[in-house]
Amino acid sequence: MRELVTLLARSLVDNPDEVEVGIADDDGLTVIELSVAQGDLGKVIGKEGRTARAMRTLISAMCARGSKRAVLDILE
Amino acid sequence: MDDAKTSSGEGPLLDAVSKNEDSQDFDAKADDAADLLEDILDIMDIDVEVEIRADGEQIELDAQGPDAGRVIGKKGQTLEALQFLLNKIINRSPDDRRYIIVDSGDYRERHERGLVSLAKREAKRAMDEGKTVTLHPMSPRDRRVIHLSLAKFEGVTTLSQGHGAKRRIQIIPGSD
Repeated sequence: MRELVTLLARSLVDNPDEVEVGIADDDGLTVIELSVAQGDLGKVIGKEGRTARAMRTLISAMCARGSKRAVLDILE
Repeated sequence: MDDAKTSSGEGPLLDAVSKNEDSQDFDAKADDAADLLEDILDIMDIDVEVEIRADGEQIELDAQGPDAGRVIGKKGQTLEALQFLLNKIINRSPDDRRYIIVDSGDYRERHERGLVSLAKREAKRAMDEGKTVTLHPMSPRDRRVIHLSLAKFEGVTTLSQGHGAKRRIQIIPGSD
């Protein structure tokens, strides 16, 4: 999960070296925390949040198999 | 020596090499797109092969294999998300933008045929009942398919209502 978000975020932003992805476990729920350079926030969120939604769709698709649950949290 | 190089025996080989180089130049963007899609699907542990189906004005990628169902996802959601992100990433710079389509087998063709038959069916219902029929929210591309398929359907007109992801088509009878 971390690998997926890292690849997508690093490919989307202008400053890939400032992409940080952390994983936190909250009572069985995996929280993926993504942080990017201030100027790149729009790149990972997108118009009307469409980019963030597309990433979340892929995360859910990845979870569906193992009946895990994971959420993507974009840190501002 | 020079004569030997241009002998007929080497002709086809040289041709093949230069052709290969040309197509690699021409395909750079399509290759990048296919590589990225492969990387994403690999991380997601989805077992499919990615092929470049077309690399003209649009780049069409085809992901087929044992896990094709997982590439498509519920109502094509995963396919849409992959296509959206690939377009964002590969077309980041404003020059040489080429629309990328991600497909799996004949999924998009079947999906489009389904939309056309839905459109015809609902148009007929709108006319029979004399009432406006409102369809479920659809992507701009899907709405376009419906609008086009009903453009020549006599007795109804179509328009889109609502905003963003909630935009829906209305089929209005009797105003043609």
